[in-house]
Amino acid sequence: MMAERRKDQIKVAIFMTGDANYHSAGWRLPDAYADVGTSLEHWIEFAKTMERGKLDMLFLADGIGTHGIDNLEGTRHNPKLDRMEPFTLLGALASVTTHLGLAATAHTAYNEPYHIARKFASLDHLSGGRTGWNIVTGANAEDALNFSRERHAPIAERYDMAEEFTDVCIGLWDSYEDGAFLRDQESGVYVDTDKLHVLNHKGKYFQVKGPLSLARPPQGHPVLIQAGMSEPARELSARVADAVFTSQPTIEEAKAFYQDVKARTAKYGRNPDDLKVLAGVVLFTGKTADEAEEKYDHLFSLTNMTASLSLVGQRLGGIDLTKYPLDEPVPDFQGNDVRASNAPLAARMARRENLTLRGLIKRYTAGGPHALMKGTPKQVADELEQWFVEGAADGFIFMPVSVPHALDDIVDLLIPELQRRGLFRTEYEGKTLRENLGVARPENTFLVKARN
Amino acid sequence: MTEKRTDQLKFAVFMTGDSNYHNAGWRLPGAYNDAGLRLDRWIEFAQTMERGKLDMLFIADGIGTAGIDNLKATRANPKVDRMEPFTLLSALASVTKHIGLAATAHTTYNEPYHIARQFASLDHLSGGRAGWNFVTGANAEDAKNFSRDSHQVHGDRYDRAEEFADVCIGLWDSYEDDAFKRDKDTGVYVDTDKLHVLNHKGKYFQVKGPLSVARPPQGHPVLIQAGMSEPARELSARVADAVFTSQPTFEEAHAFYADIKNRMDKYGRNPNDLKILPGVAIFTGRTAEEAEEKYEALSALVNPAAAVALLSARTGIDLTGVPLDEPVPELKGNDVRVSNPQLMFKLAQREKLTLRGLVQRYAAAGPHNMVRGTPSQVADQLEYWFLNRAADGFIFLPVYLPGALNDFVDMIVPELQRRGLFRKEYEGKTLRENMGLPRPENVFLKR
Repeated sequence: MMAERRKDQIKVAIFMTGDANYHSAGWRLPDAYADVGTSLEHWIEFAKTMERGKLDMLFLADGIGTHGIDNLEGTRHNPKLDRMEPFTLLGALASVTTHLGLAATAHTAYNEPYHIARKFASLDHLSGGRTGWNIVTGANAEDALNFSRERHAPIAERYDMAEEFTDVCIGLWDSYEDGAFLRDQESGVYVDTDKLHVLNHKGKYFQVKGPLSLARPPQGHPVLIQAGMSEPARELSARVADAVFTSQPTIEEAKAFYQDVKARTAKYGRNPDDLKVLAGVVLFTGKTADEAEEKYDHLFSLTNMTASLSLVGQRLGGIDLTKYPLDEPVPDFQGNDVRASNAPLAARMARRENLTLRGLIKRYTAGGPHALMKGTPKQVADELEQWFVEGAADGFIFMPVSVPHALDDIVDLLIPELQRRGLFRTEYEGKTLRENLGVARPENTFLVKARN
Repeated sequence: MTEKRTDQLKFAVFMTGDSNYHNAGWRLPGAYNDAGLRLDRWIEFAQTMERGKLDMLFIADGIGTAGIDNLKATRANPKVDRMEPFTLLSALASVTKHIGLAATAHTTYNEPYHIARQFASLDHLSGGRAGWNFVTGANAEDAKNFSRDSHQVHGDRYDRAEEFADVCIGLWDSYEDDAFKRDKDTGVYVDTDKLHVLNHKGKYFQVKGPLSVARPPQGHPVLIQAGMSEPARELSARVADAVFTSQPTFEEAHAFYADIKNRMDKYGRNPNDLKILPGVAIFTGRTAEEAEEKYEALSALVNPAAAVALLSARTGIDLTGVPLDEPVPELKGNDVRVSNPQLMFKLAQREKLTLRGLVQRYAAAGPHNMVRGTPSQVADQLEYWFLNRAADGFIFLPVYLPGALNDFVDMIVPELQRRGLFRKEYEGKTLRENMGLPRPENVFLKR
């Protein structure tokens, strides 16, 4: 599959959430911003930096609740408590940027498809076609308690619901054909109702009549992103996603995942190139490899162990890590109904790298379940190039460990190195996120159905 | 009520969809017919409002598309194509400095956690300029987009809305104002003694909290109520900072004003802390004749089928097939619309309108007051309502854009400023400061 030398280029997204410092102690560095959560000016600065670097998209991760709130000692040290809501924040950035893709996580578990379809369509119009939706089923069991529910649905049910949710949104976006709005002042005809399609969806979880109350989005549908790695998540990705955002700590695991997801697209009649696999990467760069290592160690020294145990336990699906000794090997964690893949992935990582629980915590507070790359910009570029050329990824989602400097380093040091190698664009290819990512603008599903 | 007023008028501008308030406004040569999805138009409107020192841009919103099954009316309906308010107001927040940014959000098909979070975020993004018009959802067809067979009956909707508003207030107050320390030396990000977990368990909602964001700059966004029924009036008197109301005549407005303000005492509130803003559509020109001609030109463009469908949706009564050139039949309140039908019927009787005349007037001003005349004549009327306590300000309905908004800012505002009735500079930075509303105390500290 990878015999041919790739002619395409690397796609780059930047992962941000809450205080935007990916490392849980990133905010404590002397030159880091500690107040990003609700400060629009910082976000505008980041978005403009990303446009300067010609990056594809800003990706806002989001949790709807506050993890581990009952653990007050952990909460005291948690910089993710204070964060903007993604639709409003991306809306504010849409009017002060021109090329950057604006993607957000929106959960299917406690939302209505009509609201979500409408917000993404509106954002796509506001931004001139730069929106992306990370479809997430909700991985935090505590969330249920903010939405008048006692129980968080198990993973299979959540994906079953997410599949239907996504299909309803697609049907709503296609309510009007492109060109339906005539706005003819002379005749008084505002819309050509022959180009109006009323969805009338009646499914297992949702009944939604439609139409959506606005024109079809500039991109047809926003770029659809999936981030799960479980079996049902891989099927959803292969069927509808334009991009997959995945955590793969090693190139071997990344290649296996890449091949698996791309191979699944065939049975849905899709071209594997229309699904971009973006691997999460946490970078520590410095003028020398030693300097990069020192940054990694220094940041860990600033973390709070109580907060870290709570945070990492949450990421592994709600495991209470306080009951395990810190300086012994990591137990064989199993997946559960909340998060299927993260716990076994962490256990594998610990075995492979010979990590104690403390070592795993150090790895996780810095890089979560993602690939961790440390070195000079040139060394990191070598590694990224290998992942790209050998078919482990079509691009990357970088998590800046501390802002603004880790982001500035990506744009000012790493991107020029990738551009020199012809691996990254020097100008945006198009105006919409789809054009820049190289994913097709979807046809209206009502027209496809009418033809078939 | 006899005391001479020393405060000044407040102005909101009512926008929705294509934002030409007159139903045929978009067809007038020179009017924008594409404002629905054009961000550049909205930026122009917001900046015009800031030039006029107006208080707020208000986006009215319906979540579905009213009357979609009537294709003939739908063809002529410029409101079928519109931005979603949170995304649009946020886009405006980063390119404006003073204008308040308010939107309708429905309580019926929403979760309080989402709504509280979106308004809190908008308030942070805008530096304290958010306002929330909480409505219970007045379009019966909306239910069909939210996996429900039928709309809740009116009383239940208000009961739920009361609880919804209280949950949002509790969520906004999750953290005290100075809870976030962000101390790099100690690593303490938040002072958890200033964290309050709501743990709400009510009739309609169970919401644990806290909200995942610091307390909004305004404490709570400006809370706006727009209903006129009995439960709506109580909700206004208890929690609202502003009331939008449709009052076609001074007498009705005056009675409504007194009624709401009198209800506040039992909730321990000062009547000045609630601003009553009736809607007003204005046709102005250099002469009274010119203003009249503008009204006639727009009336001539009204599509009767679309206008009848609109009035049907707004009254909850199907008026299709009723003769256009005969007097209007009696319109009674119902489960979907309690107050609007009677209001419309009284208006038709008073102005001796046929159904055609009523739909033309409705196309221009809906159930609101309509004023036609020179800037000085218009200012006289607004001043009369204000000084005689029928209004604390107005929600201005621009009949067509950008013309009617420019006329208002360039002709009416200077006349009101000359009379000392309207500000020449913004008083403060937040919407509450400009509207003269107190910043609410954290409810957890009151208890």
